[in-house]
Amino acid sequence: MISNRQFLIGGIALALVIGVAAVFFASADPDGLDSTALIVQGQKDLTGPAGPGAEVDEASLPGSFEYNAPFADYTLEGGSRLTDAGLMVAGILAALVLVLALGKGLKAYRQTRSS
Amino acid sequence: MHIPDSFMPISQGAVYWLIALVFIVLALRWVRNEMSEEKVPLVAILAAGVFALQAFNIPVTMGTSGHLLGGALVAIVLGSPFAAVFILTLVLIVQGVLFGDGGITVMGANIINMGVIGGFVGYYAYHGLRSLTKNMFVSAAVAAWLACIIPALVAALELYAAGTFPLVPGLVSMGVYHALIGLVEAAITGVVLALIVNSRPDILDRSTGVPA
Repeated sequence: MISNRQFLIGGIALALVIGVAAVFFASADPDGLDSTALIVQGQKDLTGPAGPGAEVDEASLPGSFEYNAPFADYTLEGGSRLTDAGLMVAGILAALVLVLALGKGLKAYRQTRSS
Repeated sequence: MHIPDSFMPISQGAVYWLIALVFIVLALRWVRNEMSEEKVPLVAILAAGVFALQAFNIPVTMGTSGHLLGGALVAIVLGSPFAAVFILTLVLIVQGVLFGDGGITVMGANIINMGVIGGFVGYYAYHGLRSLTKNMFVSAAVAAWLACIIPALVAALELYAAGTFPLVPGLVSMGVYHALIGLVEAAITGVVLALIVNSRPDILDRSTGVPA
């Protein structure tokens, strides 16, 4: 059995390797939701691939809210694959740090309540 | 399966947000009562891992790809569907706010689909199947498949209500694609569970049924 420290480091390393690999090797095919939207909009059939340049026509959809994420599609404008990998690492670490920080806060809260 | 803002009217997104908030409050109670200091590293790794795996789209034929959702995996490993709600909410907030992956007004719907439905279906299917099959890996894989396809069908219904998908074609298409994507979900859930069983079986929740 490995130690707590080894488990944490191994888990973080594995998540980072998967995330960075995703930048280089993930499929560019639309996911199940986007494929369905493309079918509904007549740009794809169920079993075949979407045509080149096929994109969901957002203007015809009912949602009116628009939000421009700073790193939309996990990329930086004018960046490279390397900056994409950096963004992916940052996202993975953000998820990790959020939980660890909450854990610290929880520990302090429990200590305050028990004293 | 991250619904973007354009797919749903704001008013419907608000309704799903209200429902999701109820589950988020219950998930925070799980955090307060059940997330012991020893569990924090595992919860953190699962959050990081789900984030990474959700970025890794794998082709599933028919010009479509899919990735792990993770609700079943988290609920099984941590022994509570509310753990899935908690982790998926955190991951969806980071994805939506920073990377535009999944909308903001529709985030409640995404939390319900992947966190709430994925977590509850994964957790209860796993426990039901394990009592039948006595095999934790087969049970986890089948539960994960169900925790992929059922949220996909619910998403199709939500998007029918939104006026984005027609009912039957939406259900058929989402069902067919996620029946395949569910195989990815099943395989990854089984492999990650095996990795934890082989490295640190003691940190799995006792309800998982790993031999002591």
